Amino acid sequence: MFSPVDHKEENIKTIFSYIIVITLLFSSKVSAINIISNLTADTTSLSVAQLRRIYSMRQAHWHNGIPIVVYVLASKNPLHQQFCREQLRLFPYQLDRIWHKLTFSGYGVAPIEVDTQQALIEAVKTTKGAIGYVENISEVKNVNIIKVED
Amino acid sequence: MLTSLKLRIKTAHFNQSIFISACSLCFSVGLNAAEVNVEPLQVHGFVAQGIIDVDHSNFVNESENISLELTEVGINASYQLNDDFRLAGQAVYLNGGNRYAAGSRIDYLLLEWDAAHNENWQTSFYFGRVKNNHWLYSSARDIPFARPSIIISQVTYFDGLRDLAVGGDGAAVKVKYNNDELGEFDLNFSRGKSPISGKQVDIIAGKQAQGQLKHDLDAQLSIYWRPSFSAWQFGLSANDASFSYHSAQMDAYVNSDFTLQFYTANALYEGEFWQLSAEIIQERLVTQGFYFPGFHRDQIGQGYYLQARYQVDNDLSVQLRTERYYSNKDDKNGSKLAQVSGGLVPSYFAFHNDLMLGMSYDFTNNFRVNAEYHWVEGTARLSPIVQPDPIANNSKNWQVWAIQLMYWF
Repeated sequence: MFSPVDHKEENIKTIFSYIIVITLLFSSKVSAINIISNLTADTTSLSVAQLRRIYSMRQAHWHNGIPIVVYVLASKNPLHQQFCREQLRLFPYQLDRIWHKLTFSGYGVAPIEVDTQQALIEAVKTTKGAIGYVENISEVKNVNIIKVED
Repeated sequence: MLTSLKLRIKTAHFNQSIFISACSLCFSVGLNAAEVNVEPLQVHGFVAQGIIDVDHSNFVNESENISLELTEVGINASYQLNDDFRLAGQAVYLNGGNRYAAGSRIDYLLLEWDAAHNENWQTSFYFGRVKNNHWLYSSARDIPFARPSIIISQVTYFDGLRDLAVGGDGAAVKVKYNNDELGEFDLNFSRGKSPISGKQVDIIAGKQAQGQLKHDLDAQLSIYWRPSFSAWQFGLSANDASFSYHSAQMDAYVNSDFTLQFYTANALYEGEFWQLSAEIIQERLVTQGFYFPGFHRDQIGQGYYLQARYQVDNDLSVQLRTERYYSNKDDKNGSKLAQVSGGLVPSYFAFHNDLMLGMSYDFTNNFRVNAEYHWVEGTARLSPIVQPDPIANNSKNWQVWAIQLMYWF
C-alpha cells in the first residue's frame, strides 16, 4: 500500500512527466513557415488553392505575366514536409508524384531543388519570379513576404 | 552536384543604359542583389538494376533462371527557349528480357508551346514524339521510382504492347483548368503513330511472323478531375488505334488489319498512410485476316486492378495488388478458346489473374529499393499474344519475384 507521502511524490512525478512531454512536443516542432517571393512577383497574398496550384505546377505565371520559378528543399527535409502539410495541405509524396510525372514524361518541369534553406533564400532573392519558403523570416531581406489566406 | 547545375544562373549582359536603369530600380525598391532569369536547361535521369526470377512461364526468359534482365536507364533534358516554347527529350535503355524489345530508344522528343494561360487556365500543345499521358501510370511506366511497383499491372500496362502504347510521333494538347469550388480538371488529347521494329513484331506476333506491322492511326482522349482539396482523383480515357500487317513473301501469316479500342476508368486516393488506386479497362480487338484470308474476329476483353499502399514510416511502405483480366468477356474461363483450337491452346490462355505483395524502402531522397512477389494464374498477358505459345507456357500458375535498386537525379 502507498502512504500519502508516496501519493504526493507520485503526483509530482506525473506532473513533471507531462511538462517534459509537452516541452518536447513543442521543441521538436519547426517554427512557423513563411512564403517568400522575388521582388519581381507582384503578389503579396495567395490563397491556399493558388499556392497549391503554383507548387503542383498548374499555375506558371504571376499576375503580371512573369514566369514563376518554384524552389524547394529535398522531399524528406523536415521543413519541406512541414510546408507541404501546413501550407499546401498535401503530403510530400503527392507532390513528388506530380513532379516526377512532369519531369520524366516531358509534359513539364519540376521545381528546382536546393540543398539548404540558405541556398533557397539566395535563389529566391536573385531569381526573377522565384517563390520559396523559409522557417524564420526575421533575417531575410529583399524578398516579398506572401501572406497565405484561406 | 546536379543541384548546383540547376542553380547556375545566367550571366546577365547589361549595356550601360540598362545598367543605370537597373541600378535606379534597385535603389528605388531597396534591392541588393541582381534579378536574373533561371537557368533554362534542366537535366534529370535515373538508373535502375534488379534481379528477377520467374517460375513456370517465359515472362522474362525461356530458361526460367534468375535473371538480371531488369535494367532501366534514362536521361532527359528540358530547355526553355523563351516564355512560350520549350524543348524536351528523353533517351532510355531498357532490358526486360521477353517483356519488351531490349535496347535504347528515344522515349520522347518534343516542342512544347504554351499557347494560352491565366491563373485558372493553361493550354499547351506538344509536337514531336509524345508520351501516352492518358492512363493513370502510362507516362511513368518506365520510370522505376514513379510507378507503383517493379512490374505494374499487366491488365492496363501489358508489357507485350508497351512499345505501341507508350506514345507516338504526332501531337498532343493538354488543357488544365482550376476552379476553387469544383477542383482541378485536365483534358488531354493526342494523335500519333509508333514506329514498330522487327523485334517488337516478334514479341507481339511471334518469330514466325516475317512481315511488317504498321501503326496506322492512334487517337486518345482523357479527362481527369480532382475535387477541391480532396484526396481523391478520377479519370476516364478512350483510345482508338488501328494497325496493319504486311506479310513477307515467305510468311506464316497473311495481310491483315487490326483495330483496337481501349477504354479505361480510374480512381486514386492519396491519404496520409494509405494510397489506393484502381483502374478498369475494356478493350475491343478486331482482327481481319492474319491467320488466313477472310478470317474475322471481334472480341471484347475486360479487366481491373485494385492496389493499396500503406506507408509504415517515412521511408518504408508495403503494397498489395490484385488484378483480373480476360481476353474475351464471353469466354472468361477459356473453354471456348480450348474448344475452337482443338485443344492446342489451353483454356488458361484466356485469362490473367495476379496477386502481388510488395515493399519499398527509401535509403535517401533519391535512392530506393523495391521488392515484390507475384502469384499469377493464367497466361493471357504473356507474349506473343497473337499466336500463344503453350509449349513454353505449359502451366496455368506461375510466380515472379523481383528486387530492384534505383537511383535518380
